[in-house]
Amino acid sequence: MPKFEFIEHTADVAFKAYGKDLNELFANAAEALESTLVQLQRIAPIEIRTIEMASDSYENLLYNWLAELLVMFEVERFAVKQCKLEITGLSLSAECLGEKIDLDRHVLNEEVKAVTYHNLQLMKNDIYHVEITLDV
Amino acid sequence: MTHGELVKQDEYVWEVPEGTVAGMRVPGRILLSDALLRYLEPAAIQQVANVATLPGIQRWSLAMPDVHTGYGFPIGGVAAFDVTEGVLSPGGVGFDINCGTRLLATTLFKEEIIRGLDELMDALFEAIPSGLGSKGQLRLSELELNSVFSSGAKWAVSRGFGNVADLQHCESKGCLNDADPSKVSPLAKKRGRPQLGSLGSGNHFLEVQCVDQICASETAKVFGLKEGQICIMLHSGSRGAGHQICTDYLKTFQAASHKYSISLPDRQLACVPADSPEGRDYFAAMAAAANYAWTNRQIMSFFVRDVFEQKFGTIAALIYDVAHNIAKLEKHSVDGESKEVYVHRKGATRAFDKDLSYGVGQPVLIPGSMGTASYVLEGTQQAMVTTFGSTCHGAGRVLSRKSARRSLTWQGVSENLKRKHIAIKTDDRSAVPEEAPEAYKPIDEVINVVSKVGISKAVARLIPIGVIKG
Repeated sequence: MPKFEFIEHTADVAFKAYGKDLNELFANAAEALESTLVQLQRIAPIEIRTIEMASDSYENLLYNWLAELLVMFEVERFAVKQCKLEITGLSLSAECLGEKIDLDRHVLNEEVKAVTYHNLQLMKNDIYHVEITLDV
Repeated sequence: MTHGELVKQDEYVWEVPEGTVAGMRVPGRILLSDALLRYLEPAAIQQVANVATLPGIQRWSLAMPDVHTGYGFPIGGVAAFDVTEGVLSPGGVGFDINCGTRLLATTLFKEEIIRGLDELMDALFEAIPSGLGSKGQLRLSELELNSVFSSGAKWAVSRGFGNVADLQHCESKGCLNDADPSKVSPLAKKRGRPQLGSLGSGNHFLEVQCVDQICASETAKVFGLKEGQICIMLHSGSRGAGHQICTDYLKTFQAASHKYSISLPDRQLACVPADSPEGRDYFAAMAAAANYAWTNRQIMSFFVRDVFEQKFGTIAALIYDVAHNIAKLEKHSVDGESKEVYVHRKGATRAFDKDLSYGVGQPVLIPGSMGTASYVLEGTQQAMVTTFGSTCHGAGRVLSRKSARRSLTWQGVSENLKRKHIAIKTDDRSAVPEEAPEAYKPIDEVINVVSKVGISKAVARLIPIGVIKG
């Protein structure tokens, strides 16, 4: 099972993320988003940020989670290399490891304007999967 | 969904019949030539049909000839909604609220600048912050930022970033009066504050262009355009402020759509009645983002003008500034009755038949892809009758960013530009293939269709000689 894969979208960037459970699905979707923003192999997991949130559905929780990471990237210039998540009911608590962007060392990829709700539907067969479209 | 679902009405009009998807309230209409039909994606037809299911939609769910698949609404989509029965949908405007184009015209001609072109491009690249996460040169207080949201380009002019005549040459005079900064979240303000006066990245650009062909000499004279003249085109929007405002209201509208019992074929179409507290709040916040975008382009114009003044001692006049991602309250004739409607233009440009400042049809600015022609057009009566006063917004993508990166290289694209004597400046060479002409439809054919349908008339064709890719 791949963590995620990018799929064709004419105007924007879209990916499918996979996970054996919700924690893994959310972490893999986060990695897909971060790797759209920045070359992730050059980001070191040296600082920690914690995120806690709750929502009224798993889809909305996932949307809010990705939107929060995007804001953290734009406002604080903090890129997340890896994260440890714990989803209990409709609440999420995450420890995000990464570092602040330093243009001398890091390479930016795309400017992502926003996460969209387009076709956002969390599915489960043997594993969880979801399709996310980013506005770039 | 296939092309087989479409019913050809005449040479350039294709109908998506009611019933193509369940719950359509009006038919869809896609404006295309046979040559452009091959680029039409099945998903874009589906999106035109999905928009037709929204409550209060008037006459048709429209798509301009540069249509392509978006999220929720198609890019190139136009839809008007009744003020009481209809809805407002953030997805029908997009995240980059009032992304738009502006054109400045200098008194210079190509031969006067061609020798010093590289130095000119360096100076412009220095003066206009561009690229990923770019920030502006202004440091605004909270109070000033609120004035930007409520007053738009008027604020910039009052602070000396332009002159009063500029406002006459902006769509809606660069300010939507319905804006209310108190409906903008603290996070949207935080994102917008450092970025005012910056280009951004992606398909945003600044181009130095040369008028290559006059298509309608009388109107060109009225607009002040001459063959060989040097112009500057800017394409940018409301930056992080607009992106966050759209995100905030989309979140709210997910639940609110249920509250108002609106069933949706795609969550990105989330909407609420225009005449509801949520609808009014969104409209006030969207208008604030639109005002931010007009201010943004006005401030960048100031720095562009400064470069031209320093280098050539010349002034650059604002020809026009148009939005292509916006919702507007406008009066249109529907079934013989004049009524107010909320017109959503998502990758579509207003093309009114009258502009008070010029006394002819409203100037419409259509950028081509990087390295190809752009056009100045004039709005028409036909647009008022058939497209709620709207036309196309650009060439429209055909290749995804991913496949453009796969099949094209920075080296190949920049050599192609060099062969056409076009200088390019960018912070991010790896993203250049995404905006190459090969990734877009042929702009000349898109312009041909809007002219033949009669929803705008070509006035002048401009070709780039220098590009700053954001």
